Amino acid sequence: MLYLFYLLAAVSIIAAVVVVAARSPINSVIALVVCFLSIAGHYVLLNAQFLAMVHVIVYTGAILVLMLFVIMLLNMNATVEQRKPLAVRLMAVVTGGMMLLVLLAATRQGLALPAPEAFNPGIGLVRNIGMSLFQDFLVPFEVSSVLFLSAMAGAMMLAKKDGTEDVNLPPSSEPRDKAA
Amino acid sequence: MSALIVISVLAVAVLYLGIFSNKNVLAPVTILGLVAATALLASGWYIPHDLLHGMLDFDRTATAFSMGMAVVAMLVFAFGPDYYARKQWHVAEQYALMLFSLVGGLLLASWTNLLMLFLGIEVLSIPLYVLAGGKKRSLRSSEASLKYFLLGSFATAFLLMGITLLYGLTGSFDMGVLGTFMAAQAAPNMMLNFGLFFVLAGMAFKVGAVPLHFWKPDVYQGAPTLVTTFMATVVLMAAIVGLHRFIDVTGMPQSLAATMALLVLATLLVGNLLALRQTNFKRLMAYSSVSHSGFLLLALLANADTVGSTLLYYTFTYALATVGLFILFTIAKRANNGAEHLGIFKGLFAANPVMALCALALLLSLAGIPLTAGFVAKYQVFLLAIGAGWLKVMAFGVLMALVGIYYYVMVARELFLPAEQPVTFTVAPLNGLVITLCTIAVLALGLWPAWLI
Repeated sequence: MLYLFYLLAAVSIIAAVVVVAARSPINSVIALVVCFLSIAGHYVLLNAQFLAMVHVIVYTGAILVLMLFVIMLLNMNATVEQRKPLAVRLMAVVTGGMMLLVLLAATRQGLALPAPEAFNPGIGLVRNIGMSLFQDFLVPFEVSSVLFLSAMAGAMMLAKKDGTEDVNLPPSSEPRDKAA
Repeated sequence: MSALIVISVLAVAVLYLGIFSNKNVLAPVTILGLVAATALLASGWYIPHDLLHGMLDFDRTATAFSMGMAVVAMLVFAFGPDYYARKQWHVAEQYALMLFSLVGGLLLASWTNLLMLFLGIEVLSIPLYVLAGGKKRSLRSSEASLKYFLLGSFATAFLLMGITLLYGLTGSFDMGVLGTFMAAQAAPNMMLNFGLFFVLAGMAFKVGAVPLHFWKPDVYQGAPTLVTTFMATVVLMAAIVGLHRFIDVTGMPQSLAATMALLVLATLLVGNLLALRQTNFKRLMAYSSVSHSGFLLLALLANADTVGSTLLYYTFTYALATVGLFILFTIAKRANNGAEHLGIFKGLFAANPVMALCALALLLSLAGIPLTAGFVAKYQVFLLAIGAGWLKVMAFGVLMALVGIYYYVMVARELFLPAEQPVTFTVAPLNGLVITLCTIAVLALGLWPAWLI
């Protein structure tokens, strides 16, 4: 079990580095898929099967496929990396180094964190998530349905063609977007 | 809770009414539904706190604020038939989205759990991001929508960070648990301070307090005027009561008070000074709203027992004056071929003395001149600040209130100047009624404030 954790941790770290370092956006996104899959593996190790499945379906399945679509539609698979000026790169190094310094100092000092709670191995099981979702958190669950409904109605309103000019807009006050 | 369900169902019903493409029924249905919701709130019939697992609590503050928001929303919707008279598409969606946003306002008025605070903020904001972009052909409207969305998501990230830190400390989202935890806290706790700070920052964005106010003028200017009216009134009320519930539980520790005092000073200074330089009426109202949130934060800083009623009185009278003024602005804008500068009010007194006097009364109320509700509201805020010992901040607030009178009087002066070319102001009967109602309410509440306080 412990070796599995080390393996998964190594895979996710290497994949995360590849995401940042890869020259081609396609390689970067595919490395991100690997990274997310290995994180889902971590969830399984923590006995949170439901979270792992949702993670794979939502992130790896939906969001990353969407990103791949966008990259392919925009035809960005050629490497489009400009060279940044030296001053910008120097500034990036300095700010990054300062961030590292702050983080090191913070961990050396040690934040006064409360003691971790005992790990409950059953907490991630589907049954327990369902129990808390439909008992303690029923009201937020229902409210989030209102949230998603309003987001959907809003998206429809923005995306649907209406074929008329907006008459509340004065004709000469601002430039019109002819292409839209 | 029942009012919450009524408004949510009403919003879905209005969405379905959009099928029949008869926009004349939309406003009456919406207003009738809101009347029903207000009546349910007033009857005091609600689901006990425990049954909702401590998520929402419709106590006196929540009920009063919910009723106030519903009444102001009714006034805004009464402006709808005239505003959307020449618009053919998506009118039902606009009404429904505003109702969804109102649901978020009710959640913010009654939350007792940090999870509900987050959901309330999101339900309030996400319809607004869309509504701000309601004029699809207008570049400014699209800019407002995108800007509001990006900055709003950023503020939500702050809020979530704060909630996470507080959850990490107490192991619970419940505000009661947080209150007992903070009461037992003797030494300053860095993690607690950061948590409080981030939640305050997330809420300060919605209120429009100064380091986080940049979205306000652009969004107010770009959004359709009806949506701007809704944002300036209902949304401000919701954000203030949400912040009030948070601060009420924390009991205002030293670190939070210092941050709040800085926020108040910066908001009052920047809001009033930048308002002096505005020539566009909508931007002027945006900066005026920034300065009013400064006064509201000053009342929150005092954190006395009576702060809830003062906040309600202040926001409600501010909302009444703002609704009336934005309707008058739309009338004047149409009379001047869509111009938005302050000069569009020229000649209003000569053309329509009643409306001009209403505008004068509403402007003076925003400025805080005695005999209007705005004066009593500011007076109450200053009394609270003195009671809590924030004398220097209070004195600065008085100074800034005096500066604020200048730009409101500048607008009022335009009303009485003769127009450069002949203009005709067309006042629809319903609009005239709403404006008159707002004016009477503002004057009456100024003379007999005991009705509300």
